[in-house]
Amino acid sequence: MRKYTILMVVSVLVGLFAMMTMASVSLSLITSPDNGPSLQWLAQEFEKQNPDIRINVSIVSWETLYPRLLADLRAKSGVYDIFTWDVMTAGSVHSGCLDLTKFFKEHSNIIPKNYDRNDLLPLAEKLGEWNGDLIGLPYYNNTMLFYYRKDLFNNPKYQKEFYDMFGRPLRVPTTWAEAVDVAKFFTKKYNSNSPTRFGIALMFPTTHTMFYMFPLFFGPYRRSPEGIREFGSVNITYGDYFTSDGKPAFANKYGLMALEDMKALMPYAPDPLGSDYGQTIEYFSQGMTAMCPQWTNPYMQFKSSPALQPYSEKIGIAPMPGRSVAGNWALGISKYIPLEKQIAAAKFILFATSKWATLHVLEKFGIAPIRESILDNPEAQKVIPWVKALPTIYQTETFRPRIPQEPQLESITDVYFSEMLAGKIPMTIESLKKLAQKWEKVLSSK
Amino acid sequence: MKEVVMVPEKELKENLIRMHDRRIALLFILPAVVLFLVMAIYPFIYMIYTSFTNLNLSMSGTGQFIGLSNYFEIFHDPLAMGSITFSTMVLLIAVPIEMAIGVLFGLLIRGLKGERIFRLLFLISMMIPGIVFGISAQMIFNYLFGAANYFLSFFGVPEIAWFGHAATAQFVILFLDIIQWTPFIFLITYAGLLSVPQDLIDAARVDGASRWQLFINVELPTLKSFIYIALIIRLIDALKIFGKIYMTTWGGPGMATSSWSFYIYKVGVSYGWDIGYASALAIILLIVSAILVNLLIKVLNLGETLELKREG
Amino acid sequence: MNRKTTRIVLKVIRYAAVTLILSVFLFPAYWIIITAFKPMSEWNTWPPHFWPYHPTLVNFAVKGILPFLRNSLVVSSSVAFISAAISLMAAYAISRYKIGGTALAGWFISMRMLPPITIAIPLYVIYVKVHLLNTWLGLILVYLIPAVAFGIWVMISFLNEVPRELDEAAYVDGATRIQTFRYVIFPLSISGVAAVIVLSFVQTWSAFLLATVLTSDSAAQTLPVYLGRFVTGYNIEWGPLAAAGLITMLPPIAIGLIFQRYLIRGLTFGAVKG
Repeated sequence: MRKYTILMVVSVLVGLFAMMTMASVSLSLITSPDNGPSLQWLAQEFEKQNPDIRINVSIVSWETLYPRLLADLRAKSGVYDIFTWDVMTAGSVHSGCLDLTKFFKEHSNIIPKNYDRNDLLPLAEKLGEWNGDLIGLPYYNNTMLFYYRKDLFNNPKYQKEFYDMFGRPLRVPTTWAEAVDVAKFFTKKYNSNSPTRFGIALMFPTTHTMFYMFPLFFGPYRRSPEGIREFGSVNITYGDYFTSDGKPAFANKYGLMALEDMKALMPYAPDPLGSDYGQTIEYFSQGMTAMCPQWTNPYMQFKSSPALQPYSEKIGIAPMPGRSVAGNWALGISKYIPLEKQIAAAKFILFATSKWATLHVLEKFGIAPIRESILDNPEAQKVIPWVKALPTIYQTETFRPRIPQEPQLESITDVYFSEMLAGKIPMTIESLKKLAQKWEKVLSSK
Repeated sequence: MKEVVMVPEKELKENLIRMHDRRIALLFILPAVVLFLVMAIYPFIYMIYTSFTNLNLSMSGTGQFIGLSNYFEIFHDPLAMGSITFSTMVLLIAVPIEMAIGVLFGLLIRGLKGERIFRLLFLISMMIPGIVFGISAQMIFNYLFGAANYFLSFFGVPEIAWFGHAATAQFVILFLDIIQWTPFIFLITYAGLLSVPQDLIDAARVDGASRWQLFINVELPTLKSFIYIALIIRLIDALKIFGKIYMTTWGGPGMATSSWSFYIYKVGVSYGWDIGYASALAIILLIVSAILVNLLIKVLNLGETLELKREG
Repeated sequence: MNRKTTRIVLKVIRYAAVTLILSVFLFPAYWIIITAFKPMSEWNTWPPHFWPYHPTLVNFAVKGILPFLRNSLVVSSSVAFISAAISLMAAYAISRYKIGGTALAGWFISMRMLPPITIAIPLYVIYVKVHLLNTWLGLILVYLIPAVAFGIWVMISFLNEVPRELDEAAYVDGATRIQTFRYVIFPLSISGVAAVIVLSFVQTWSAFLLATVLTSDSAAQTLPVYLGRFVTGYNIEWGPLAAAGLITMLPPIAIGLIFQRYLIRGLTFGAVKG
């Protein structure tokens, strides 16, 4: 008798469990570490409102995620339902992304009434498009900021010492040439009075980070009147690395000058060729350097660092001395998953890009907003100091190429630039021309 | 008469059993053979095929036959040449140091009190996955917070940007390889040391041989075959170095620490998915390791050591 | 007197050298262990903390490590047992019937020495087609290659130690070959089977490259891949990472040391018996 009771209970439990799992849609979301925590939080909030949908967020470094994503989309395996993709990889990921314009038209009932498409920043939205298809909703309007130690720059003692040394006032650099003097001033090795060990934290590793860093230095030349005259205006598909008609634009004196600007700062940075984001964030938050170019959300880590308290007096934020580089992320949905999953996934990305979500991930995680109304929101501007500066930065930022060959170009370029900065390949226009030849080869092998 | 009949009968029976046996033996070996055919030989043949194509997983419309272009490309590819350099460094610098320390450690602890504990402790780093070493190295060799620079500061050496210079980054990777694989050399050569007959050692001692003479004249001759085995296995395995690089330098700065295996990964998986070219690179690696494997088989003298030759 | 002093000095030098070598060789592991117990404020300090000043266990509450631990356990133990079975059978055939001779044996060795990256790329393309990507089965199949290849060697050397007279006696008594295998060979070679299980487990547990290429998320990724995901990490949390590293390295260390006498046979294709 007891046996039967137990059996009954067990089978009821199993049945219930099976029903629960059947009733819910389980989605796999894959994302990079900078988006990770905010999306994890959003997934939790979303699950509260939609108990029938489960979202498993996996956080993987971009170095690992990017090839994975490319391969899965090309193989049509549909392993990832939702993913954050770097908008600069649009050309290579688009073939596997659901066309959202069409999807939202067919399933307009899933769009919440208060979802305001017109509030999305036009550029952010445009970066989610490829060939006119909307293949991702903008999620993180990331751009690179110039962090500096406000307390040191405002300190009369250092201002005087700097003036004595360089004959001009100490101020936050607006060009890379200016930055060299300031970086030198704040490096102990060259100025024993320096309050910090190093002037600036830089990351020039042999990873995709290098491909981001070069435009910070090349941008000012590429976008200068001479640059525009010589290479034409910057085309959003090809970005600053290219001329307006799709030829490499860096194999000349401008590219060389950009690399020389990078090299000129290296003596004042802790291990620039061996550091990536992780290290430089750590160096600045420990008060080891006076300046640091970084994305928007490391601000949250700086803000909580004991060495940078009180943070409102110590952490200064300025536009990049050269030009910033766009690091936008979009949320995409796989083409190769069942409709039921696509609908659930679409519900989530609409949720994650709503006004409410945009404001909260900005305040909680430092995710740069994709909505105009949030940029103008006084409360947001008060909580996160860089919000006010963003509109001007967005107007001058540079872009990496978005063409399908981007992965190979990036891979070759990281190595070349690293070897040139390390002095293994001579830093000459010749070397850049050789790199450009490699590019031409990749571009023509279509 | 009786005996004459018995012999052919017994032979017949034995023959029958033998025939039966061999069929069973084939059955027994089948799973292993099928596994290798499906999981290694088939991919291998497929790889030979792709190495003649421009197959690229991140681009549509690829996969056409392009002949030997991928192979010619290797010679014009400075990045490939760079990874040959580093792989050679691992073979020519790390492996000899591993051999030396591995043999030396065995000699050092032989007969010391606590020999067993030392042996146990020394073997630990061999069991640790290479990835874990990578994490450890990132902390130890950090420029501003690392223990390595802290130790050096005692000697007045200014901080070294370990991952920022070709030579020091290479040092870190070689160092990790040495830490991880010296115990392997030790394990094998130490077994050789233990197998030296005690009476030979005693006899040499009675003759008044010095420690060095004892090593050269008595221990080394026995040790020789063990050293060969350890060396060749190590050489082949050194070609596979990957996880430590993946976790620390990502092959940089530039191509300084990119091994052949890592370069294949970079071309074939990370960023590119350029399967055609990666396959050609992999074939070259396979040829090199096949040459070493053949050498290994000779040195192991398989037929003898494992009694593989059929009797008679 | 003089000779005695020299001997003592020599001994001291030997102890000093052994201590020095051991401390260098164990340092990376030591650093993982102490970091796993350090609170956030001690991860990056100057001077570095050589032991946790304020030891803590919070790093071990790593969110999301459990599926990876599960995958590692499932894949490693499956490979261990399946490879033991396959290699015992194959070794039996080779040891007793000299099937294939040196050529086949050499082929098996080359399977063990195969650089993983060379099969990773074609297998990826093939796995896409047969839907084995990101599955346990896919990983188990690929890790069986090295495990079986060296398992065969370990087993051959063990089986050669089982006197041939025993199985001959058995089948003269009327036992079939299968019965002989089941009741005579298997019990006598059980320590060899144990060795193969242990060694395959350790080897599979630590393997990284193929797992990183052939899996894509927590459904099948193993612990080393979990660790590898933090490369070029954006905000590296050293404590939890070291704790995960500690969890990853403990099983192979423990098992490897306990069964170290089998280790050497496995590593030298049975040519050296520890």
